[in-house]
Amino acid sequence: MAKVLVIADIKQGVLKSSTVELLSKAKAIGAETAVVAVGSNIEFLTPDLANAGSDTQYIADDPSLELFSAGPYALCVVDAAKQFGADLIWFGFSESGKAVAPRVAAQMDAACATEITDVELSGDQVEVIRPAITNKVMQRVKVNTDKLVAVVRAGAFEATEGITGTENVVKLLPPAPDSKAVIKELVSDAIGEIDLADADIVISVGRGVKDQAGVDLVKELANDLKAGFGSSRAMVDGGFMAHNKQVGQTGKIVAPSLYMAIGISGAIQHLAGMTGSKVILAVNKDTEAPIFNVADYGIVGDLFEVVPILREEIKKIKS
Amino acid sequence: MKILTTVKKVVDVELTMHVKDGAIVEDGLQYVINAWDENAVEASVQLKENNGAETTLVSIGGGDNTDMIRRCYAMGIENGIHIDDPALDKADSSIFAKVLQKVYEKGDYDLVITGKQAQDTDSGQTGIILAEYLGLPCVSNVIAIEVMDDQHIKVSRSGDAGAEIVELELPAVVTVDVSINEPRLPQMRGIMMAKKKTIDVMDLAALGTSHDEVGAATPKSEIAEFMTSKLRKAGQKFEGDAAEITAQVVDLLANEAKVL
Repeated sequence: MAKVLVIADIKQGVLKSSTVELLSKAKAIGAETAVVAVGSNIEFLTPDLANAGSDTQYIADDPSLELFSAGPYALCVVDAAKQFGADLIWFGFSESGKAVAPRVAAQMDAACATEITDVELSGDQVEVIRPAITNKVMQRVKVNTDKLVAVVRAGAFEATEGITGTENVVKLLPPAPDSKAVIKELVSDAIGEIDLADADIVISVGRGVKDQAGVDLVKELANDLKAGFGSSRAMVDGGFMAHNKQVGQTGKIVAPSLYMAIGISGAIQHLAGMTGSKVILAVNKDTEAPIFNVADYGIVGDLFEVVPILREEIKKIKS
Repeated sequence: MKILTTVKKVVDVELTMHVKDGAIVEDGLQYVINAWDENAVEASVQLKENNGAETTLVSIGGGDNTDMIRRCYAMGIENGIHIDDPALDKADSSIFAKVLQKVYEKGDYDLVITGKQAQDTDSGQTGIILAEYLGLPCVSNVIAIEVMDDQHIKVSRSGDAGAEIVELELPAVVTVDVSINEPRLPQMRGIMMAKKKTIDVMDLAALGTSHDEVGAATPKSEIAEFMTSKLRKAGQKFEGDAAEITAQVVDLLANEAKVL
């Protein structure tokens, strides 16, 4: 039986949905499951970690692990993987996962695959499916080592309803901090902002909103819906939106239930960051805009006219 | 300070790709410098200009890389190494990292700057694995670099919850994001000077290693086949009276798609 170790994605004391999604997939392929959690003041999450579908919880809980540092984090994952005897080591999609996975692979002499959307086991042979070349093609990748470290693309695996696990905690010793790469400070994103990666609805603005007034208009819709507020590259380059709000191949990859592209034409780099969304709504005045090729619902019209109506209509059905 | 920058020649992602019999159809494709590596080159040249440094680039594979390397010379890079060996045609990230390790060990570098990923594989592994092989400190997804003194740099990394500020002891490896800078356009004078510069082209033997040592015949993973991307299909498009069609779409979002 394959053994899958899932790296818990914890942010500000909350266990993110990728953890239960990855554990669900692990159970679906008949694997034995464990989870490793690294951080400070996280031990209280043990019941959540078990309920997410793990049968062993490796926990590295230490004040020195409060700020993310890839070196010590990787050492914790390797420690857990060795104790568990993991064949497959899976990270959910996150910046920390992308930083740690190749380190773990190098230390364990294992293959490493990022952005995977599926995994196939036949006997001892493992293959993964992943997009490449800015989502223009898919690759089937054959794994030649007995261990695979993978980063799973956002939204690739679905959580199973009613998944269960058992509490069986193994405490890990915290490794020494990385003395050659010292994390000094975290300059947090604005407090209270909805994280694009976690939001159920994401609304993004593009060149079509023109200026700050246009950004603010759409922001009101995002506030109404408690949606994550993202951007195309054009609005970041134009200085209207922060870099960490950019959705796309060079920014954040999101897969919400509903993605609204407002005034976004749909450059290939942007599409690569959002086509994993469940439902896509596009508003654009250009009927030929490429965004309409991927949108489930498209409104051809002037966004300055459409967005206020969207707000009103949504308010109506919500009340 | 001696800086080593990695540069990869990759397929132009703006072009249409076709897949036939599990492979990408090469006809009509064009090749360009990997976007993230162009930022790595710019970061190296800025460090040279602002703090003084000797800059060297290394490129692996890609056939004739003369134009790409000359472009980097025109941007301000001083030395170029091109490792070209047919044994590396199917190399994975670990093999690239092994080759880069050999290049690093032949020079006396203080800093390695790579793009955070290559736009042909979108893997984002090579720089980080190189650091592991070399036993050097590493920060990935870097959006700013500042020299503190001869032995230390301070970098800002775009992390999950904000910008992470990390002090690195040199030698070190950083992988950079496109937001770190705006790569310069080469100027005519630079382009003319670049034409006179040489490129140090070598195979694995000339680098002082072998196919076996870098594991060229035993990749940890290999591409079994390429497949056509499962693109989403265009759905319903509405044109006409804004109030009417918007109300209609909101109704569909709520009652058909059930996402509101």
